[in-house]
Amino acid sequence: MTDTILALDDVWLSLAGNAGSIDILKGISLTVTRGETLGLVGPSGSGKSSLLMLMGGLERASRGRVMALGSDMTALDEDGLARFRRGKMGVVFQSFHLIPTMTALENVALPMEIAGVADAFARAEDELEAVGLAQRRHHYPSQMSGGEQQRVALARAAAPRPTLLLADEPTGNLDSVNGAAIMDLIFGLRDRHGATLVLVTHAPELAARCDRIVRLVDGRIDTTPQAMPAARMKFGAEV
Amino acid sequence: MNWALAARIARRELRGGLRGFGVFLACLALGVAAIAGVGMVRSAIQAGLTDQGAVLLGGDAQVEFTYRFASPAERAYLDSLATETSEIVDFRSMAVAGDARVLTQVKAVDAAYPLLGAVQLQDDVPLATAFVGSGGLPGAVMDGVLADQMGLAIGDTFALGSQEFALTARLLREPDSATGGFALAPRTMVLTADLARAGLLEPGTLFDTSYRMILPAAADLATLETDTKAQLPDSGLRWSDRRQAAPGVERFVDRIGAFLVLVGLAGLAVGGVGVAAAVRSYLEAKISTIATLRTLGADGGLIFAAYLLQIGLLVGVGVLLGLALGVGVPLLLAGIIESALPFPAQIAFYPQPVIEAAFYGVISAFLFALWPLARAEQVRAAALYRGGLAGGWPRTQYLALMTVLAAVLIGGSAWLSGTAKLAFGTAGGVVASLIVLGLASWGLAALARRVARSKLLKGRVAVRLALASIGAPRAETMQVVLALGLGLTVLAAVGQIDSNLRSAIERDLPTRAPAYFFVDIQPDQIDGFLAKLGANPGVSKVESAPMLRGVITEINGIDARVAAGDHWVVQGDRGVTYADALPAGTKVTAGQWWAVAEARPQISFAAEEAAEIGLALGDTMTVNILGRAITAEVTSFREVDFSNAGMGFVMTMNKAALAGAPHTYISTVYADADAEPAVLRDISKAYPNVTAIGVKAAIGRVTEALGAIAQATTLAAMATLITGFVVLIGAAASGERARVYEAAVLKVIGASRGRILASFALRSVLMGAAAGVVATIAGGIAGWAVLTFVMESDYAFEPVSALAIVLGGIVATLLAGLVFVLRPLSVRPAQALRSQE
Repeated sequence: MTDTILALDDVWLSLAGNAGSIDILKGISLTVTRGETLGLVGPSGSGKSSLLMLMGGLERASRGRVMALGSDMTALDEDGLARFRRGKMGVVFQSFHLIPTMTALENVALPMEIAGVADAFARAEDELEAVGLAQRRHHYPSQMSGGEQQRVALARAAAPRPTLLLADEPTGNLDSVNGAAIMDLIFGLRDRHGATLVLVTHAPELAARCDRIVRLVDGRIDTTPQAMPAARMKFGAEV
Repeated sequence: MNWALAARIARRELRGGLRGFGVFLACLALGVAAIAGVGMVRSAIQAGLTDQGAVLLGGDAQVEFTYRFASPAERAYLDSLATETSEIVDFRSMAVAGDARVLTQVKAVDAAYPLLGAVQLQDDVPLATAFVGSGGLPGAVMDGVLADQMGLAIGDTFALGSQEFALTARLLREPDSATGGFALAPRTMVLTADLARAGLLEPGTLFDTSYRMILPAAADLATLETDTKAQLPDSGLRWSDRRQAAPGVERFVDRIGAFLVLVGLAGLAVGGVGVAAAVRSYLEAKISTIATLRTLGADGGLIFAAYLLQIGLLVGVGVLLGLALGVGVPLLLAGIIESALPFPAQIAFYPQPVIEAAFYGVISAFLFALWPLARAEQVRAAALYRGGLAGGWPRTQYLALMTVLAAVLIGGSAWLSGTAKLAFGTAGGVVASLIVLGLASWGLAALARRVARSKLLKGRVAVRLALASIGAPRAETMQVVLALGLGLTVLAAVGQIDSNLRSAIERDLPTRAPAYFFVDIQPDQIDGFLAKLGANPGVSKVESAPMLRGVITEINGIDARVAAGDHWVVQGDRGVTYADALPAGTKVTAGQWWAVAEARPQISFAAEEAAEIGLALGDTMTVNILGRAITAEVTSFREVDFSNAGMGFVMTMNKAALAGAPHTYISTVYADADAEPAVLRDISKAYPNVTAIGVKAAIGRVTEALGAIAQATTLAAMATLITGFVVLIGAAASGERARVYEAAVLKVIGASRGRILASFALRSVLMGAAAGVVATIAGGIAGWAVLTFVMESDYAFEPVSALAIVLGGIVATLLAGLVFVLRPLSVRPAQALRSQE
């Protein structure tokens, strides 16, 4: 069995707009191996979040191939992608994206309910305890602070024990104290479950905690020497 | 598909409450309530007619003859069947008092009348007492309207033919009046025996007799009907009994009920626009949730099921509200409704209309909700970043499901209403109108976008803003035009048809129509009658013809109703005339007019009606005239014009065919308006037995009836408009947030509140006017089609009602729109803009 979790080969993402088609990603080739933590950095609009969405099958490539956990995601339709994510991928967003009509516990249990896990609620309780929110399990998102909501989102992403954890600026909407706590939790969960982590961030100190950093500029991977030294270069970007 | 999980997700989602579903519930509940209410009243009348069948008929069974009394043998046979029998004679005549000569429908009865129920007279005078009379004259009772028209008080005298009567009471109610059908004149009631010297019931005069019977309890009506027809063959009798005492009323109630249910369905279609809009805006607010569910691994099926269950629950609530309203209101107002209806009605809970209304509500709600629901299923996980409901068409399986639902709805309405043609016509009309209105709103948006960019509007900020917001993507233009347009289209069509018919009747017909029809002119009176009219310089034209009445019983030996379907010429009795030589002005279109004095019975039939019933030259036709069956060959077709209210006979026979049959003459008299009263006075003085039917008065009655139908249709269209107005309010409410933001931005860039208000108002005016104009055009086309193809009348565009429709559209959108501009105008820009971030 290969150690490659994700493999992107000449991936393009173009979106149709009123003024014509816009290329968001331009020929990205990249691999991520099992257990690795990868930081995606770059200026606003460089395509970091779009690349993360492609990795999670939330967006479909216009061209090229995206292999995840040994499956060709470009061959799957929207429903196929949704089923593929079940139990294998967890996603954490900057805006949390909790379902407002569900309690913290229900939000965390939901992906496991969808995946047909029998003890979804028991596991959700454990995961809420792990992020320190056991006592808030019956609260709705609107009754929680931003930091708490993100911890619930993190528990939701981690609860199904995913192989791949994707986080899109998870601290972007939080103050520095809450942000640091969330990052500790993310790395703690990764360590505990042994998941592969891909993290989109603007913060250099967070990127620095990753095994490898890939910098995007204008939809392409930046291969200039100055893009690399900030991180401990265990793995190189394959351009 | 995990329905249990879908149900759990749906239940959790509904914790957010039903906010935003007010319009959804109102649209659905209104439509269902209207259909359930109409159905309840219809069932109540049907139950009343069934229960009161015998009273309405005036007996358990009735046998009718046309223009003759039962022969002694026939009467003996009928008496042998019944425990009690009563004879009624019904005919039109002139009631005369001094100079007043008014047409009346006379009911002459015997002492046994009424066998069932009671006649109600003013001051509770018993009928028998009223008939005793006063001052040596027999008594008569009269409809109050007629008495007032003639200026008669109780105790005054008047004449029917050559018999004087004393008016002894005003007639309030006859127990058997519902079976009589459309009457051209108000009622006078006398004893038949008192008419012996009146000279009104001579052979050949136009009167009907009916023999009501109370039958032994064990009598089997079906067997008795068959036996009677077998015992009295060729008598021309018509049988009716309590099983269907008032078939005319039942048919009328059925038709009106079906029509109103179909109008209710049109209301549901308008409500459907609101339902679809509410579901769409609900799902738009849920895009983030749906996309999150996608991210967590939910497939389209699970998402569709979760939201379908939520909408299903709402449909259930809406339908139940509608049913509660539709059933509750008639039950609460039972007393008022029962006394207001001219038929007996028993308001109670009837399950069938409730099931029917629920069926219509559920199917139509899902039909309209399915499109936005199916598109929600297409929301991608990427919507978390990029937003928006997926555009384009739902998947094929959902389109197929929508087609099936539409077919079930239309098929169901055809089956339940019992008038497939009307149901398909209504469905076609609604679908065509929705398509036309949809295209029109799309065109309006495109035009608004184009004009908004025009240089002509430079500096006219309010107008440009209004136009730009009409043409903007996701503007509520389509919703407003669809919701308002359908109701306005029905109203416009009714307006066009009604005003065209009125002008045809009031303006065109009197110039071509005769002043009077005179009937019951005895053969020995016709020469004197014509001479009298010839001497009157005010009379411009007189046409006379011998007239008999006959019922077409067979065509080529087959029952006429089987051979010709339900065509009007085989329903009831028709006028028959005879002639030897071809009358002047008659145009034979096919075949040959008979040679004078030819002995073989022959018929010349009206060409158009012959084509409609599939009659061919050489066919034989059996006509029952005064109890005698005459079979004759159709040897020619004639052109007959019924449109000018002149004399038109469907059937003309040769003299030999009708040899010896007692008959009278009918005459149409064309006279100057000034000469009309004198003509009536002269003739009724000289020939008291002759009945004059004033064409103007008759047309007045017809116009009145048409007016009532137009009024009922207008009311029904108004119900559709109310639903449309609810949809408008919904559209305005859902657009309020966008208006708040728009107003805030405009204030930031320096627009005054007056200018913003003007822009918002202008937008409403333009959308309302567009809906009105499109509805006027669509209604005009519908009106033209109905007048040209159904009523075979001329059509001219009627601008007054059209203008009213456009103005109505403007007022409705303006009212609905302006309710929701107060908040946008009052909110401070910073507050509004911050909440958008």
